[in-house]
Amino acid sequence: MISCRAFRARLQPGSSDPEVLEHLRGCDACLDHALRVDPDNFFRAIGGSEIEPPGGIDSFASGVMMQIRLRQTEGTTSHRFLVAPRRLAVAAAIVVMLGIGFFATEISRKSVPSQQAAISRPVALAVKPVVEAYESKNATIVEVPTEGKNDPQVVMIFDESLPSNL
Amino acid sequence: MKRAFIVVALLLTFSGAAFADDADASKSLGVRTFTFKYKDPGKAAEIIKPLLSGDATISIQSSSNALVVTDHSENLKAVAKALGEYDAPPQAFKLVVRVVAASHAEGSPRVAEDLRDIAPKLAMLRFNQLENLGSADFAGREGDPGILTLASGYRAEFKMGEFDPASDSIKISDFHLSKVEGDQLTSLPKTTLNLRLGQTYIFGATKTPQSRRALMIVLVARR
Repeated sequence: MISCRAFRARLQPGSSDPEVLEHLRGCDACLDHALRVDPDNFFRAIGGSEIEPPGGIDSFASGVMMQIRLRQTEGTTSHRFLVAPRRLAVAAAIVVMLGIGFFATEISRKSVPSQQAAISRPVALAVKPVVEAYESKNATIVEVPTEGKNDPQVVMIFDESLPSNL
Repeated sequence: MKRAFIVVALLLTFSGAAFADDADASKSLGVRTFTFKYKDPGKAAEIIKPLLSGDATISIQSSSNALVVTDHSENLKAVAKALGEYDAPPQAFKLVVRVVAASHAEGSPRVAEDLRDIAPKLAMLRFNQLENLGSADFAGREGDPGILTLASGYRAEFKMGEFDPASDSIKISDFHLSKVEGDQLTSLPKTTLNLRLGQTYIFGATKTPQSRRALMIVLVARR
C-alpha cells in the first residue's frame, strides 16, 4: 500500500487508480481528505460503479412512478371508504324518518274518512228499486236489464189476479 | 354534514308531530242538531246513513222536528250539505203517462207512429202489435195528489212523493190505474214506484209470462 504522502500526491478528482483506491479503503485519515477532494471517491473505494437497471433507466423510472400513483390511488380509495359509512348512516336515518312520517300520515288517514271521500260519496247515485211496493202478494216482478243509461227500463208484472179485460 | 342531518331530523320530527295533531283533531267526534222546516227527520235519517261512519249516532226529535247527529267533523260537514239540499220547499215535477195495449200476432208488426220509441224494447218481449190508449201529463209539487183521465176510459191516480237527490229519483206513491167502462170499474193493484228523472219506464202488466197480451204503462218523470 502506498504511503499517505504518495496517496495525497496521486489523488485526483475522479481518480480510479487501484493503488490510490486501495489506500483509501485502508486509511481513515486519508478517506476524509479524499471526500473533501471528491465525494465520489468513497463509492469508488468500496468498488461501486454506475448500475443501469434492467430495461433501462426510463423503464425503471416509469415503473417507480406507476408504483407511486398506485399507492396514491389506494390511499384515496381507502379514504373514501372511511367516509362512506358515515354518509350511508345519514341516508339511512333520513329514509327511516321519512318512512315513519309517511306511515304515521297513512295510518291517520285510514282511521278517519278523508274530507274528499266524505264529499265524493253523495256524488255516486244510489240505486233504488223501481217498484218499491205492489199491492198484490202473488205477483212476480221482473226488471229487464237496460243496455244504457237512456235505454227505456222495462218492468214486467206477472199477476194472476189481474183482470182479464184490462 | 352533521348540522344538516340534525336540521333534517328535527324538521321531520316536528312535521310528524303536526300530522299526528291533525289526525287527532279529525278523529274527535262532534254533535250537530239539524232542524227541518219542510221534511220529516225520520226520512232524513235514512238519507244520511250512507254518509256516516261506524262511530256515528242519530237521534230523532219528533217534537222539534229535528235530527241530532254525532260523528266525525268531516262527515258532519257532508251531512250538513246533504240535509241542506234535502230540506228544501216542495219542488215541482212533471209526470208523463202513456197507456199502451201490447199484443203478439203472427205477421208484420203494427206499431203506432207515436210509440216508435218503445217499440224495439217491446219487440224483444215478442209484443209486435202496439196500440196507443192515450197519454196525459201531470205537473205538480212533491206531496201533491194527481189524477189523470184518458179519453180511452183509463184513469191514473197517484201521489207525487219526495225527490231523492241521492238517486236523482222521485217517488210516485199509490199509483193506481183503473178503467171505467160503462158502469164497470176495473183496476190494477196499487204500486209505489221510484222514477229516475228523465228515464223512460215501461211497466207491463199481464197474467203470466206466456200471455200474448199485456197492458203497458209508460211513465217519464221530469223537472
